[in-house]
Amino acid sequence: MKFDRRYILPGLLILILLTVAAVPGLFAPYSITDRDATYQAPGPDHLLGTDNMGKDIFSLLIYGARWTLMIGFASGLLAVFVGTAVGLLAGWRKGILDEFLMGTTDIVLILPKIPLVIVLAAYLGPGPSVLIFVLGLLSWESIARVVRSKVIQIRSAEYILAARCLGFSDVRIMVREILPVVFPVIVPKFVLVTAAAMISEASLAFLGLSDPLMVSWGGMISDAFTYSGFLRGMWYWWLPPALCIILGVLAITSLAFIHERGVREVVQV
Amino acid sequence: MLILEAEHISRSYGMNPALNDFSLSLSSGETVGLTGPSGSGKSTCARILAGLERSDTGSVRYAEKTLTRPDPGIQMIFQDPAGSFNPVLTIRQSLSAVLSLRRVPKSDHHAVLLAEFERAGLQTEILSRYPDQISGGQAQRVAIVRGMLVHPRVMILDEPTSALDVSVQAQILHLLKDIQKENGVAYVFISHDPSVVEFMADRVICL
Repeated sequence: MKFDRRYILPGLLILILLTVAAVPGLFAPYSITDRDATYQAPGPDHLLGTDNMGKDIFSLLIYGARWTLMIGFASGLLAVFVGTAVGLLAGWRKGILDEFLMGTTDIVLILPKIPLVIVLAAYLGPGPSVLIFVLGLLSWESIARVVRSKVIQIRSAEYILAARCLGFSDVRIMVREILPVVFPVIVPKFVLVTAAAMISEASLAFLGLSDPLMVSWGGMISDAFTYSGFLRGMWYWWLPPALCIILGVLAITSLAFIHERGVREVVQV
Repeated sequence: MLILEAEHISRSYGMNPALNDFSLSLSSGETVGLTGPSGSGKSTCARILAGLERSDTGSVRYAEKTLTRPDPGIQMIFQDPAGSFNPVLTIRQSLSAVLSLRRVPKSDHHAVLLAEFERAGLQTEILSRYPDQISGGQAQRVAIVRGMLVHPRVMILDEPTSALDVSVQAQILHLLKDIQKENGVAYVFISHDPSVVEFMADRVICL
């Protein structure tokens, strides 16, 4: 199979972000507890200057990748797990269970996401695990719908009927026969949910609803806004995290679109 | 010995009747041919006999028990040979899964598959291929091998040769005859081609 060169740029970007998030200590010149003089302009000691607490903004940017990406990917994984399980069960069993699960999916679908996340984050506390659960558990509905329709499409395929005749259990058929065929439609959904969760995390952090001890890109923009970074014209405080969010989300969604287009091209051939 | 019995089964899809008051009795080692024009309910009948679908009325009994769900003792061979296999698994993976289901030790899988392939006149190279990388005749032989791995007593053959060219059709029909001679498996052979049904069946039911 020929490698698609369109994957190189977004793939490289995501690889860099993931590497930085995995070992921030290797790239950050200072730790997030180190302090110096406050509100310094960019210079040789501090590439992007320092913030209101005297922390090195470049180091915060490096450490911020960890939480932003972790919340995005963990929410995406949780949404994929719930959505796939619901979609598989609803499509396979049909009947009352299908109606119940799809009814629940419709309710989640019409919930106003961001206001609900704001309310839940305010009530449940601003920890990263709360954000992951709230964002993940409110983003699975589109995955469930796509998986269900794909399962309905292939449940009467001859290889599924053959598997039933051979005596394979329902769980085995769903996991080993149906899931690998459904997987290509889950991948782009996963990356889109991940990108949406990164944006939601940044929005919540900007609104002050994230853990103040947790360094994230959204939190950095919020701090710049709250502690007069905008007023002082300190673009090097808020612009780099904003660019990182945009580039991260763009890279992830590009991967999804390239993958989806590739699948469509193969189907057309 | 009576192995499969269907009594007065009927099936409708909405307002459209697909099968009306069908009865059948099948003994070990026997082949019953089922023929009829398109839309006469042959495939519906096959699925009900295999336990894949429930009939609206009547019942199907296999080995003296009422059939409510598929039983490994009844295997089904389908019209589209490549479509009978999971497209994302190799032939080896598909067949190994059946052997694991039968609790055959993993270390014995290759030897068992080699023996079965040799009996069916198949080359072992195709074990590493995907279903769309083998010919229709090869896929149908592999489907028959897969069905036989669970030692069924009945095989429902739903137009097993209609998608194949004439020379391959003959090979498949002879393979089925050989298997029946060796194992005493009973066949319900479905085809719209009267000459093929006549060649295979001991008696024929026309729908």
